Amino acid sequence: MTAKMKGIAAKAKSTDKSPVVRKGVQKILTGIRGFDEVLEGGLPKGRFFLVTGSTGTGKTVFTSEFLYRGITDYNENGVFVTFEENPGDIIKNVKGFGWNFDMLIRKKRLVFVDASPDKVITTELGKYDFSGLVERIKFAVNQVKAQRVAIDALGMLFSKFTNKDAVREVIYNICDELKRLGVTTVITAEKAGDRMNNLSRQEVEEYVVDGVAELSLNPGQQQFVRKMFVKKLRGVGYRSGIVEFDITSNGLEVFPKIEVNRLVSKTEFKKREKFGIKGIDKALEGGIPQGHMLLISGNTGTGKTLFGMHFIVQGIKKGQRAVYIALEEPVEQIKKTAREFGFDFTKYEKEGKLIFVCPSLIDISNDKLLYQIVNAANKIGAKRVVVDSISSLQSATMPEESVRQFLYQTSSFFKTNGITCLLNYLSGSNFGAARGQLLASLDTNMIRLTSLVDGLIALLYVERGQRVKRILNILKMRGCWHSNDIFQYTINNEGINLGERYEE
Amino acid sequence: MPQKYILKLYVVGSSVASERALINLKELISQESETVFELEMIDVTKYPQLAEDDKILAIPTLIMKLPPPVRKIIGDLSDKEKVLLGLNLIPQNK
Repeated sequence: MTAKMKGIAAKAKSTDKSPVVRKGVQKILTGIRGFDEVLEGGLPKGRFFLVTGSTGTGKTVFTSEFLYRGITDYNENGVFVTFEENPGDIIKNVKGFGWNFDMLIRKKRLVFVDASPDKVITTELGKYDFSGLVERIKFAVNQVKAQRVAIDALGMLFSKFTNKDAVREVIYNICDELKRLGVTTVITAEKAGDRMNNLSRQEVEEYVVDGVAELSLNPGQQQFVRKMFVKKLRGVGYRSGIVEFDITSNGLEVFPKIEVNRLVSKTEFKKREKFGIKGIDKALEGGIPQGHMLLISGNTGTGKTLFGMHFIVQGIKKGQRAVYIALEEPVEQIKKTAREFGFDFTKYEKEGKLIFVCPSLIDISNDKLLYQIVNAANKIGAKRVVVDSISSLQSATMPEESVRQFLYQTSSFFKTNGITCLLNYLSGSNFGAARGQLLASLDTNMIRLTSLVDGLIALLYVERGQRVKRILNILKMRGCWHSNDIFQYTINNEGINLGERYEE
Repeated sequence: MPQKYILKLYVVGSSVASERALINLKELISQESETVFELEMIDVTKYPQLAEDDKILAIPTLIMKLPPPVRKIIGDLSDKEKVLLGLNLIPQNK
């Protein structure tokens, strides 16, 4: 037994040290959304990966999806070795994700090795080993010519059998056999303190597996937040650190941290992005410099959303695709509103020119939101992004510091991709602007955000002669000339009309 | 009417424990003159699907298919008394 362990350890070590192998490690894509990015290209082929976590953290979903995506996306057949749930229950449960395991079994793409608890009374009398299990797994792999194997809840063997040495041995034997067969294996094990039943985690992690992901459920403010921690991946690169993930209606979605490079900036002052609102584009000397991030602040009803809509429509007209991040209103409502002004967002969406991102704001994290935005922007090659609104992040559950961090990360991403972005901000500016002090009522919170953005347009109400008037000022626009006038504007069924300089 | 037993012994190739289980079982059967035994030995390497159907993990495993209820005894069956107990074959002289 000891000799065997040493043998495996020695093998692993030599693999690690060989630069040739390190460079030449072939990876396979798991197909689990976002996870392959965390792994910088997937799992090392022909190796072992351990997924640990306590009950309900998503281990079985992980393994099921690893097999399912392998079969459907990469034409790699799979074997599911289950020690905990019986195959019938697993088949039933994954139907909820739209995965038809019955069909895959019929087509000989997937096969179960059922090692779930046995109802038959079993007595142990004398010496035994687990060669029966090893033979069954080998048979199953050959039967469907599997390239992926999932072993769910291996630790259950420990609680079922008294001969712990035999259990340890079989774990090493299974690994040996599967390595010989060249299949890529995901093993799950319940995390119970620092030991996985009688097998110490350290032992498994050191000798048996090449990589480890730990799944956890963490209390958030309103709900539980799922997190994943990829601890190691022997011999190949990966992004370390804790990332969030969700279990969605069609499987796992992992939100890798987006790496941002502050050194790259594709801001082009010579290229200007227009609103398509005549007066504003003129006041901006042609538009917003490409790659700038512009904050549009204003109280409720000042027309922030409408400014965003104009910006998107103008972009699409000029062949630039756009992402609309809807944090305030439901997407359908936004589309209806847009239609009132003659903008057909539904059509743009169908044509693949516009994508809506509408995440739930409960316990939203910047990593998750940023990943969704980046994903959407990359998908269609967006050049314009509207966030409606950044203040709703604050008023939801995201702490103010996270909002700042989020802005910092998004602006870096946008700048490296030459994407121009509008951020709407619901300010608390009041109506009581005195004559000659129109901007005195500006919201200081909003001002605090402005160090992160390249430009700021303030929308304000003033009450004059029993009427509410809307005024606008470009407070800041980095690196370019802009009008300092305070403009009056109106909203009609064609959108925003910028009028002349506001005169008292 | 003698009691009929249907037994299946799962082995893998010719391992020491499997050989020993077979010897122990044959000896036990020969001593039970009152009972009719039907013993089938199955090599998992040759018939893996049968092992799958019977959910065999440990080797050797003896399955008592009849009389009911179905039972499994795993190990080399070295403790004869306990095997008899496990198979509900308590010797009459005890």
